[in-house]
Amino acid sequence: MSTALSRPAGLDLQSFARLASLHPDLVRRFVALGLLEPRRDASGRMWFAYGDLVAVARLQRLRRAFSLNYAALGLVVDLLDRIAALEADLRNRPRPARGRSWI
Amino acid sequence: MAPRRDFYEVLGLRRDASAEDIQRAYRKLARTYHPDVNKSPEAEEKFKEVSEAYDVLSDPDTRKRYDAFGPDFRHVPDGVDPQTWARARAGAPGPGRAGDERVRVDFGEAGIDIDDLFESMFGARGRGRWGPITGADQEVELPLTVEDAYTGVHRWLTVSGTEGNRSIEVTIPPGVTDGQRIRLAGQGGQGTGGAGAGDLYLVVQILSHPRYRVEGRDIYAELPVAPWEAALGASVAFDTPGGEAKVRVPAGTSSGRRLRLRGRGMPNPSGRNGDLYAEVRIMVPSKLTKDERRLFEELSATSTFDPRRQR
Repeated sequence: MSTALSRPAGLDLQSFARLASLHPDLVRRFVALGLLEPRRDASGRMWFAYGDLVAVARLQRLRRAFSLNYAALGLVVDLLDRIAALEADLRNRPRPARGRSWI
Repeated sequence: MAPRRDFYEVLGLRRDASAEDIQRAYRKLARTYHPDVNKSPEAEEKFKEVSEAYDVLSDPDTRKRYDAFGPDFRHVPDGVDPQTWARARAGAPGPGRAGDERVRVDFGEAGIDIDDLFESMFGARGRGRWGPITGADQEVELPLTVEDAYTGVHRWLTVSGTEGNRSIEVTIPPGVTDGQRIRLAGQGGQGTGGAGAGDLYLVVQILSHPRYRVEGRDIYAELPVAPWEAALGASVAFDTPGGEAKVRVPAGTSSGRRLRLRGRGMPNPSGRNGDLYAEVRIMVPSKLTKDERRLFEELSATSTFDPRRQR
């Protein structure tokens, strides 16, 4: 077995909570509310991605500024992500050719 | 640093605004400029300003002090009569600045707490509940000409941040495409409580070009040819963003035909280059010489070609 040697593919709950400066219970709460979606290994342990740190920072900023409750926070980040995706689509859509015909 | 704006002005309010007005103005502006809602770097500074104004004006006590003492209210100790204060400032020896200085020394630095200002960015009310928070990611558009996108380019970008404007040198690699995001790590919004800054993303916007139309990595351009070149075939010189190319126009080419120059589109650092499509457009002289007219008339009499039938 080589798993023991391979680098962990993320952060466990304790390291993640420490890096995010949050109490592990609050991190668990974020997971229960679907605000964070860590990967689970065979034993059920949670593994967080480094990108989740960015997600948590955003949750904190939004909650501070708008006194949102956690359920509303989920809706807000979902909507912000959808808008970002739509804006990216819009940017990547080929613009219609302007001016005279090509022929 | 630019002089601080009046807090009422920041929130777009008159000085007799009610507590409700203040709340409403702040909520509206916060929704517009919150760094997670508005990705432009200017929004961060604006949001900070709005939050600070709200912090001061939403608390009846600090608001009263702000109204009485103006922007220096943080330097004024409790229990000072506004009129005495105004007189003391007016009567201070030398220009107003010196007076300022004296007061600051007298009452220490108690008023200004840099951390306070910093924290006020995200509303002081929630302070203590959270530790350090990484800054938000930001986005700016980066308009590039087709030529610059093709060759890659060196740019100095001026980005406004909370400590004023700063310049960032960026190297755009050859072959970026419209809508592509270039990440500048740690150049985004400021973090709080000692946490790192977010990232700044440059979103490439390929400017429209009089000759080239870019779709993904493929480039389309018109290739004007003379009727005889199109009929007999020719090898013609053709400008591309990567320099002049020779295009072989096969005999019997009509307008609209696309000739592909493989790999002459946008370079692709991680794969196959785009292609360049030359779209044939047959041009005729707007004025014929005597000889040209004679030859065309001869052709017209001889030829049985009918483009409206053959199509």
